[in-house]
Amino acid sequence: MDLLAQIVVNGILQGGLYAVMALGMALVWGVLNIVNLAHGAFIMIGGYASWCLYTYAHLDPFLGLPLTAAFMFVLGYVLQRGLLNLIIRAPMFNTLLITFGLQVVLTYLAQLVFSADFRTINPAYAGNSVAAGPVVLPVVRLAVFGVAIVLTVAMWQFLLHTRLGRAIRATAQNLVAARLYGVEPRHLYAMTYGLGIALAGAAGTLHGTVSQIHPYIGAALTAKSFAIAIIGGLDNPLGVLLGGLFLGILESLTAAYIGQTYTDVASFGILVLVLIVRPTGLLGRAR
Amino acid sequence: MSSSLPQFLSRLFILLLACSPMIAGAEDIVLGASVQLTGSLANTGRYYRDAYQFAIDKINADGGVKIAGRPHKLVLKLYDNQSDVNLSVRQYTELLTEDKANLLLGPFASNFVLADSAVSEKYKVSMVQGGGASDQIYARNFHDIFGTLAPASDYFGSTISMLKSLKPAPRSVALLYADDAFDVSVADGTRALLKQAGLEIVLDERYSTNASDFSSLLTRIKSQHADVVLVAGHETEILNFIRQAKSLAVAPKLYSFTVGVQSADFRKALGKDANYAFGMTPWLPSAALKDRWFGDALQFARDYRARFGYDPDYHAASAAADVEALVQAMEAAGSLDRQKVRDALARIKFQSLYGTVAFNAHGQIEMPQMVIQVQDDALVEIYGPNGLVREPKYPMPEWDKR
Repeated sequence: MDLLAQIVVNGILQGGLYAVMALGMALVWGVLNIVNLAHGAFIMIGGYASWCLYTYAHLDPFLGLPLTAAFMFVLGYVLQRGLLNLIIRAPMFNTLLITFGLQVVLTYLAQLVFSADFRTINPAYAGNSVAAGPVVLPVVRLAVFGVAIVLTVAMWQFLLHTRLGRAIRATAQNLVAARLYGVEPRHLYAMTYGLGIALAGAAGTLHGTVSQIHPYIGAALTAKSFAIAIIGGLDNPLGVLLGGLFLGILESLTAAYIGQTYTDVASFGILVLVLIVRPTGLLGRAR
Repeated sequence: MSSSLPQFLSRLFILLLACSPMIAGAEDIVLGASVQLTGSLANTGRYYRDAYQFAIDKINADGGVKIAGRPHKLVLKLYDNQSDVNLSVRQYTELLTEDKANLLLGPFASNFVLADSAVSEKYKVSMVQGGGASDQIYARNFHDIFGTLAPASDYFGSTISMLKSLKPAPRSVALLYADDAFDVSVADGTRALLKQAGLEIVLDERYSTNASDFSSLLTRIKSQHADVVLVAGHETEILNFIRQAKSLAVAPKLYSFTVGVQSADFRKALGKDANYAFGMTPWLPSAALKDRWFGDALQFARDYRARFGYDPDYHAASAAADVEALVQAMEAAGSLDRQKVRDALARIKFQSLYGTVAFNAHGQIEMPQMVIQVQDDALVEIYGPNGLVREPKYPMPEWDKR
């Protein structure tokens, strides 16, 4: 019983991190209709940014997180404005190609700049844990989970209640109508992409505190974010959180009771199942 | 500007051509290799690139290879396989068909060697490799593959014999391994050794390569009360494993890892958390290991660090020994004839910075592993072929009592 409780808690905490990873991907996909294959590479860049802040400026990763997110926002904004807006109306295949290319370029740039060494963001409290009865709660993972909840709720409220958030949703739903109401799509697209990349940067920071950063972590993170975005649905940040938690718990249980090698079978199997049964995601609108 | 672009590109092309390595002269001996310079294995692949080049430069500076009284220079033809097995097979084929490499040096990692040695076997060109230890490589009775890494099945051999001398004696063991050729070989060998030693295996789990979340496995290790945890995997997984063990407060009496502990970069990434971790290595830089070109292993390690800016580990030493083995074989054969060089390799025996290099009937070196541990941020030898060298820090304290 203790084992089961610990396994489920592990899954929930992992799920929080998954949710942050996928939030940005779902936003960009839902609004811009870009399946951002470079998403994992941006998570990696965000991780390096926070690692630099931690290593050279001795800034705690959780305090450095807003800085990293701001830097990543600018990077995302510029990339969308200068590059991706050029192909935004092109067929899906072109956007896939260009984001895949971005992925490759970012990965090799990272190896040139940072080498293939492993980097960890490892503050003194990183390995601490608190005991809640028989269950051990790692402090950092708990903090990561907290950040995930805050970011998700903030995103949700932002999309519901702010002018920009409404404009983003309006554009996603009906571009022509949104333009008639005065939305400037190029700026709005760049803002959205910037936000998505900022979220990827935040995820990179969190990833660096619990795992490690090297230039080649991107592809696997993209795949995972992709699965979570589909499972959770693209419309609603709460769906992404739910998708992340669901996948985290599922993987944790699979690893414990069936075998660690089957975790990917389970998570991508569920992906297929969701696509068949609820193609708009767990919390997606029925179409 | 746009009209001059084609001109500019053609000039750039000519410039690049001029900068590319000189095509080997008739006298030169081309050693071909395909190594992971980018991709997920780049971190270890660099040892091979650097050690191959280092050994070749050193041998050339000493006058090169003397065959039948005439000196020949060595030239390295190196490709980046991007950590992709299929690409590496194509590159080895290209090395033999297009680049006319005389002999081959190996890639890193057993699954690469398994695939690439099929090419060397097909073209009957000897490959000496220091990157693959899996027993599968030698189980196929290939003629042209020679290896300077000790057998994977015996990686934990010395560790398990050390376990018997520890107090309190460990009783139960958890064995975790990644699902690739090398780590599966390690696990198969270790399982048999553990049974012989009378230790109970409470957990025997395979995990997928590049797994990043070990919390479920760690939770099971804790609930099974395993005294000893043995992990055969890759650096990136083991780094995650140790960090997550700390955050979940999982502290077995002892844990040991096939890779990672040996590498300075790995210990730096973990900082103090690397302490108490055990590992094994066939090689440590020691002045007792004399070498024809480098003086001794200690000198090799110093010069290597000075040139490349990081410390060599056994991968680098093994790679340097591979180049030396080819050179010794060519000199012994007194010819570049591939069959004669192959036969000379099979009979070779020489002292090197890596230790005594000689191959058994299957082409693999026989070498004991030393048990090593990270103690107070430094790597120390604990247990060698002649028993305990230094007191191990055992049992490992709980994480909050360090």
